[in-house]
Amino acid sequence: MTYEFELPDVGEGVAEGEIVSWLVEVGDAVTEDQPVAEVETDKAVVDVPSPVDGSVAEIRADAGEMVPVGDVIIVFAEDGEETATDEEPSDAPDSTGEPASDTDDERVFAPPSARRLARELDVSIEAVEGTGPSGRITTADVRAHAETDESGSEPTQAIESVETDSVPATSASREITLAAPATRKLAAEEGVELNAVPTDKTQEGEAFVTPAQVQQYAQSQQAAQAADVAAIGAPSGREERIPYRGVRRTIGQQMEASKFTAPHVTHHDEVDVTQLVERRSTLAEVADEQGVSLTYMPFVMKAIVEGLKEFPALNATLDEDAEEIILKHYYNIGIAVATDAGLMVPVVDGVDRKGLLQLSSEMNELIEKARERSIAREEMQGGTFTITNFGAIGGEHATPIINHPESAILGLGEIKEKPRVVDGEVVVRSVMGLSLSIDHRTIDGATAAQFANTVKRYLETPELLLL
Amino acid sequence: MVVGDIATGTDVVVIGGGPAGYTAAIRAAQHDLDVTLIEKGTYGGTCLNHGCIPSKALLHATDIAQQATDAEQFGVSFDEPEFDLPTMIDWKNDVVGQLTGGVEKLCKANGVNLMEGRAEFADENTVRVIHEGAGQGGETVEFEHAIVATGSRPIEVPGFEFDGELVLSSRGALALETIPDELLVVGAGYIGMELSTVFARLGTDVTVVEMLDDVLPAYEDDISRVVKGRAESLGIEFNFGEAASEWTEDGDGIVVTTETEDGETTEYAADKTLVAVGREPVTDTMNLEAAGLSTDENGFLQTDEQLRTDIDGIFAVGDVAGEPMLAHEGMHAGEIAADVIAGEPAAFDNRAVPAAVFTEPEIATVGLTEREATDDGFEPIVGKMPMQASGRALTMEESDGFVRIVADEESGFVLGGQIVGPEASEMIAEVALAVEMGATLEDLTSTIHTHPTLSEAVMEAAANALGEAIHTLNR
Repeated sequence: MTYEFELPDVGEGVAEGEIVSWLVEVGDAVTEDQPVAEVETDKAVVDVPSPVDGSVAEIRADAGEMVPVGDVIIVFAEDGEETATDEEPSDAPDSTGEPASDTDDERVFAPPSARRLARELDVSIEAVEGTGPSGRITTADVRAHAETDESGSEPTQAIESVETDSVPATSASREITLAAPATRKLAAEEGVELNAVPTDKTQEGEAFVTPAQVQQYAQSQQAAQAADVAAIGAPSGREERIPYRGVRRTIGQQMEASKFTAPHVTHHDEVDVTQLVERRSTLAEVADEQGVSLTYMPFVMKAIVEGLKEFPALNATLDEDAEEIILKHYYNIGIAVATDAGLMVPVVDGVDRKGLLQLSSEMNELIEKARERSIAREEMQGGTFTITNFGAIGGEHATPIINHPESAILGLGEIKEKPRVVDGEVVVRSVMGLSLSIDHRTIDGATAAQFANTVKRYLETPELLLL
Repeated sequence: MVVGDIATGTDVVVIGGGPAGYTAAIRAAQHDLDVTLIEKGTYGGTCLNHGCIPSKALLHATDIAQQATDAEQFGVSFDEPEFDLPTMIDWKNDVVGQLTGGVEKLCKANGVNLMEGRAEFADENTVRVIHEGAGQGGETVEFEHAIVATGSRPIEVPGFEFDGELVLSSRGALALETIPDELLVVGAGYIGMELSTVFARLGTDVTVVEMLDDVLPAYEDDISRVVKGRAESLGIEFNFGEAASEWTEDGDGIVVTTETEDGETTEYAADKTLVAVGREPVTDTMNLEAAGLSTDENGFLQTDEQLRTDIDGIFAVGDVAGEPMLAHEGMHAGEIAADVIAGEPAAFDNRAVPAAVFTEPEIATVGLTEREATDDGFEPIVGKMPMQASGRALTMEESDGFVRIVADEESGFVLGGQIVGPEASEMIAEVALAVEMGATLEDLTSTIHTHPTLSEAVMEAAANALGEAIHTLNR
């Protein structure tokens, strides 16, 4: 029995998702809950798990394609039956002389010249839409498909040809593999899964792998990866083309929308956080005992909430259609997080109603989830103000881009010890740069400066947070 | 390498100089590759030497006699034809010689190195060429690519080993110097039927025994019926459901015993018997194992769409690479293999391979029958044009048979055609083109066909499928 798998609602109320990449190929065996695809919605990339044990019979959506929720994206053959591709290689050429790979249910009608051109251009003739009588495929159709498909299927085709030409990177997939401890160590060093190493040797009826086989497999895997890179990149090697899609494209579109919509002004200031540094190190010990890692961030969040209460224009959204400014009386603060996939902004809700420890543990959890890509879409929604802590990596000031449609974003610089004049004397103080970008449509520069002053006051004298 | 061997290297070695092999060799040479063609017999293979060409020559010669006899009904009378078989065979041999000589010249003119001898693999990059008989020595040829085109040979029924005297293969039958009075033909496939026709026209009493229950079992009933009727009118007798089990000599002749499934035996006395029960691939002459090659359960070398075997750099084309065992299929495959070796994006992706049987009348088919189309998930529509309604067929006094076109109802794409009638082998080319091009019924009916010709029947059959035929009643 085959199982048609529809794109599930991977986030609350998501209408469509983009297939970022397929993690399986037609013919692959899958187990229940094994991730088969990465699907991206808004800012989250989620793994779509297989619902069944079986094998992949058909993949119906290309990587990069936007797919409405409910569309069939992949068809599984449940265990106990073979997929079509499993059967094909064993087919003897049939008696009518038609090649074994020609399955008539997907027979396309195209003259030999068009079929040859398709091979030349690495186009799957089955994928070409014919414009001739009754949908016959012409050479022009093949060319048109090749041009529109340049970014889509071509790189994968190229990879295939590279692999078949030079790199026999075949993998096995066993349950049990016997190997000497030294071999296992070598495999671990090479990052190689022992069960994937091809072997024809057996011991006591089980597959047995030698160190040489591990080495060879590791090399073939590296070569295959190099081939992948080469296939995607420009042939000269001086340039490389990588796909602009998925999280990267979402970030780009979001930045574009923000910067082209909201006229940005960035207000720079510096805050003396010497007291805060002391307080935090004292409190961090207590927090540690409760198993919470306390950073500066919860203090900054609290200080910001105080500022926002005083200057609600910074906790607002401009509703252009209604010609109204929406002031928000709740304080959900987004934390910009650099992940392997790109920038993500998990949101800590109700910052005004939570204590430092709770904020710390919630935030740490969200950041961890974002980095592991297990974060839910709703955990990145509903923010009213965003903090970007570029100082964690380095730098004192920046010009952050507002997380549209919010109205302001605060960038935190690195905390550095600097000479400062206190009571007429030069002393060493801990100083942090602040970079506050505002939407100048709704917020004046003076308001921004006043907000910054309030935040500064709370950070300079953290005891005020107790009041 | 054996000591004393002369070693040479080549880009492409082609084993077998039949239609598939010589085509591959010439095409590879046209690609500026260094090509060596190894042939152990004569160039042109079975087709030119012992199959298609000699049989067609004899069918033509005897057809003239047949027509001379039939001409009486339209007022042209001849004396009873007389046959001088040695002259006929000489003429046939001249035709064959002209063609095989032509193949040899073409190979040389294209720069193909010709080597005579039997090739056997030494390993997956080397063949040894063994010169049979005197001299003994061998040559070793190292190759980048090999194309195996060793062809096929007639299947021997156990106990009926071909002796060239009493038990003949098609090859032996085509070389007979005297006309047998009585001939027993074992097998009513296309070879048995074509040669039965030749000998019946020569005046031989021909009896055909066939294990299955009809002539030409590979074809639809309404097609084989036409051919069987005409064969019977030539005096050929048929006995179905009988398999040849043993034979004995009887004076100068032979007595063949056949057996039915129920064990009932019959004895047939004849001057000679022709055993034509099929052909088998030739794979036992070239030490396949040394190259790592192996055959499938039917004895063929398996290939992919680009004619590659499992072994890198080794290709197989023609009869040795599987059904259909037809020269034109092999020639096309030979070209593809050479193109692939030259790095072109070629593939054997043909939709259909036409096939022809040169019986009286001829049969020719291409693509799908109505049944096959249904099995493949199409909803076929079918149009038929009987030769009775063809002006040209009537003027030739050749009105047996029909043209049938099978198409997909929804799209109108032509899926196949079956023709039984005069010049069917020529007419099928148009249908093959239609199938290969993805032409629709309308494409066929909108193309003006010459009047009065037989080819109009293809257009009419297509029109009949659309319910638009003028010269037949639309069904």
